[in-house]
This record gives sequence, C-alpha cells and structure tokens, in this order.
Amino acid sequence: MTAIIQLENVSYRYPIGEEWVLKDVSLEIKKGSFVSIVGNNGSGKTTLCNILRGFIPHFHKGELEGAITLEGQDLSGFQLGQLGEKVGFVFQNPFIQISGVKDNVFGEIAYGLENLGVPVEEIYERVEEVLTLVNIQHLRDKNPFELSGGQRQRVALASIIVMEPDILVIDEPSSQLDPIGTEQVFEIIRLMKEKGKTIILVEHKMDLVAEYSDELIVLDQGKVLMQGPTRDVLADPLFRKANIQYPHVTEIALELQEMGVDLNFVPIRDSEITTCFKHNRGDV
Amino acid sequence: MKQNPILALHPLTKFYLAVFITVSVIIVPSYLFAYAWFPILIIIAAIAGVAKSFISFISKTLLILLAIVFLMQLFFYPGDSVIGTWWIFEMSSEGLQYGLKLTSRILAIGAAFILFFRIVDVKDFVKALEDIGLPPTGAYIVLSTLQIIPEMRRQSNTIMEAQKTRGVETEGSLKVRAKAFFPTLTPLILSSIASTEERAITLESRAFSAPGPKTSLHQLTKRPIDRILNWTYLILSIGLLVWRFFL
Repeated sequence: MTAIIQLENVSYRYPIGEEWVLKDVSLEIKKGSFVSIVGNNGSGKTTLCNILRGFIPHFHKGELEGAITLEGQDLSGFQLGQLGEKVGFVFQNPFIQISGVKDNVFGEIAYGLENLGVPVEEIYERVEEVLTLVNIQHLRDKNPFELSGGQRQRVALASIIVMEPDILVIDEPSSQLDPIGTEQVFEIIRLMKEKGKTIILVEHKMDLVAEYSDELIVLDQGKVLMQGPTRDVLADPLFRKANIQYPHVTEIALELQEMGVDLNFVPIRDSEITTCFKHNRGDV
Repeated sequence: MKQNPILALHPLTKFYLAVFITVSVIIVPSYLFAYAWFPILIIIAAIAGVAKSFISFISKTLLILLAIVFLMQLFFYPGDSVIGTWWIFEMSSEGLQYGLKLTSRILAIGAAFILFFRIVDVKDFVKALEDIGLPPTGAYIVLSTLQIIPEMRRQSNTIMEAQKTRGVETEGSLKVRAKAFFPTLTPLILSSIASTEERAITLESRAFSAPGPKTSLHQLTKRPIDRILNWTYLILSIGLLVWRFFL
C-alpha cells in the first residue's frame, strides 16, 4: 500500500502559544488503512487532525515547520475548498457542526454537495443512500437544531460521508454518544473502510480502537511515541509509559502474564480471549 | 401551500409589487390613490390567507405611527387657512392636506412591504437574490442569522438557568432583572464569538469555499404569470410617469 499522507519533521505552534504543540512529528498513513491516534489530553491529537485537514496552515496561522504531503503533493499547495473533496472532517462538538442555513436534515446533508456543484438529481440519490447507510431516514424532515447530541453527531457524519472524500478524519465521534450510538457510528466507519477510504480516527475508547483500527499512532506531549500495527503497539512495553488505558482484555491478559500465565499472544479484541492462552484449562 | 395563487408567485414578483406600489405613490400626488392601495393589499392578503395577521400587525405598528404623523402635520405644518383650533393649537388646511398625503404614502409603502414579508418565505427570497447575483456569502449571512436567532434564544435560556443555580436572581423587579443583565448576556455574547471559529470550520468541512459553481436543491420556477406581472408593473410605472409629466 502506498502512503496517502506523509508528515516529515512537522512542528507547530499556535499564533499566541508559547509552546510547540507538535514537536518533530513524522508519520505515514497508508492508503485505505484505518489509523487511530491515541494520546492523553493535550498531547496534540486535535492539532494533528487540523493539520491533516489543512485548517493548519490555511485557517489557523501560527508557525508550521516541516513537510506535509497529500498524495505526493505539498499540502499547502491545495486550496482549502479543494481539500473538502479529498479530506472529510468530523469533529468533536456536534452542536456546532450544523451549517445553520438549512431547516431540515435532508437539506443539511445535501449542503456540502451543493457547494461542490454536484448535479441536483445526483444529490438526491446520494443523500438518500447516506440517510439509509447512517440509519437516520426517520430524521430527514426534522430541523437540525432540534436534534439531540447523538443525532446531530450522526447527521454531521452523514454530511461528510455524502461528499465521498478519500480520507476521513474523525475527531472523537463518540464523545456525545451512548454505547449503542457509539457502536452504530463505528459500524459506519467500518463500512467506509470497506469502501476503501482511509480513516484517521481520534478516540479514547480503547476497546473500540483495538477492535477496528489497523494501525495506532501514540502521541505524547506533542511527539509521536509509537507508531505501527495496533497489535504490535499494544504489546510493546513502551505503551505502558504513555499512560493510556489498555483495552480491557489486554489489560487482564498482561496482568495474568505478569503473574506467570503463559500466553500465545497478547489479545487485543474480546473475541481473542479464548485462544490466547497456551493450554486449554484441561491440559494444565 | 404552493397551490395558493399568490403564494406560488416567484418571490421577486412579490418584491417588485412592493417596489411598484412605492414608485406609483411617489409619482401620483393624490392621497386618494395612495389610500386606495390599502384595500387592494388587504384583498391580496385575503387571497393569500394571511389577512388576519396582516391587519393585526398593521394596526399594532403602522397605525400608531400614522396617527402621530398625521396629528403632527395637522397642527404644526405651516399654513394660513385655519380650519379649526384645539386648545392653543391651530389646524390648517395645508396641514390637513399634507398630513393626508404623507400618511397615505407611509401606509401604502409600509403595508406593501409588510405584506411582502407575510407572503414570501425568506429562504425563497434569498434564493431568488442569489439567482440574480447575490454572492453565496451574503446568502449565508442572511439565512444563518434567521436560523441562529432561535438557537441563541435557547442558549440564553440555558445560561439564565445556569446563573440561577449560582444564585443570580433573574426574576422580579426591574432593578433585579437589570442586575442579571450582565451575568446572563456576557457569556452569551462571548460564547457566540468563540463559536464563530468552529462554525467557519464546519462550513469549510462542507466545501463552502470550493471553487466552481454551486448547485441547489432549492429551485424557484419563474412561470409565465411572473413575467407578465413584472412587465405589467414596468409598463404601468412608465405609463404613470408619462401621464404625470407629459400629459
């Protein structure tokens, strides 16, 4: 797989900030992969998302060093509007992710396509498709301002998905959602991956991160602490240093290992719990 | 709703009617002519099904203004032919004439635009303006303002409740409420300013500044009747001008 996004020695400081929020970040995101960015609060996850979407340096000024390339081209060469077609961005606060010019959900989702100049018949088709995909057909005629947080988050996700960007940057989509809503959102993200999209996700719920993502990037105080396949990163003792929660199953397995239980491998998904132990209980 | 013959008109046709009425009452000096527009507007409102709200709105706002303007002119317009006195004031017939002329024009123009906003959906009107060249940014500003006002009202209620839990009195006498003004309004304004950044990002995520032409789900149709009406307004306006200045 080829790299779709590459960052080389990227550092960034906000206009009025004293400190560098990102320090010498180098990373590579492969086309079609599902990459999760994890890290504690203040580790620079959201800033990294803003760089990937081009809001830094196009929108937020400040000092940016290093090279960022998207599909082999320098990111600063793109216009902000052009990037809308390439990189979709869903961010944390669902209450603000409403365009504010549409009085129903259908129009809200269609808004991005209208801005891109998609023919009207095609807009109708694509919005219908996305409404079904995201499972919000029942909301289509409601005013976006009258929806609950979870509903708005799904509408926001739908509004971006409908534009069919190659890359989806999703910043903590589940922060407003209940467990069922979270599952639904992750299901949608999984579908997007199946369609060949590149997914970059920021998330704190490690069980879900481990379940879905191919690769992990661990940020710590503005630096990339680790980067690699999810399983390798979680199995690495360095991960413990980052002070990030493990997936529950991994946590238990590691503790058992410490107590002397032999493991075939370190489990990261709930479904692996039965196969990770060396012997079945009967053989011990 | 679109079956209604008045409401189904193109928003610009409705707008041009209001403009035509304005032009006509300025050209034609007679106050009877200007007053005559009012019943016509009521009939239009009745066909559109908004007569009740139209009349009640006018009687609440415009009527008071008209009464004040009329009395001021009647008593204070400089004139010699006194037709009556009240206390120390004198009414002149010039004042009466001018008062009638002024109020008739205010009534016609005011009522025309009040009716316009009763029978037009602002969304349609902005779309119509966009079609004739209003930039999308302008359209966004108008539409988002309309949508965001109720949202801000909701937010201000939330802030009021939050401040109440912190012990700020928000109900009671005028003085108490005035005191609550700053602790409730300041967070509202500050948070609104703070959220503009995220709002801009939201718009950018939806490719607001994408190069190239935009499309719209919301299409307005211009029917032959719209063209006919617009030409009629134009021809009548020119006719009135010719009649006024050349005949």
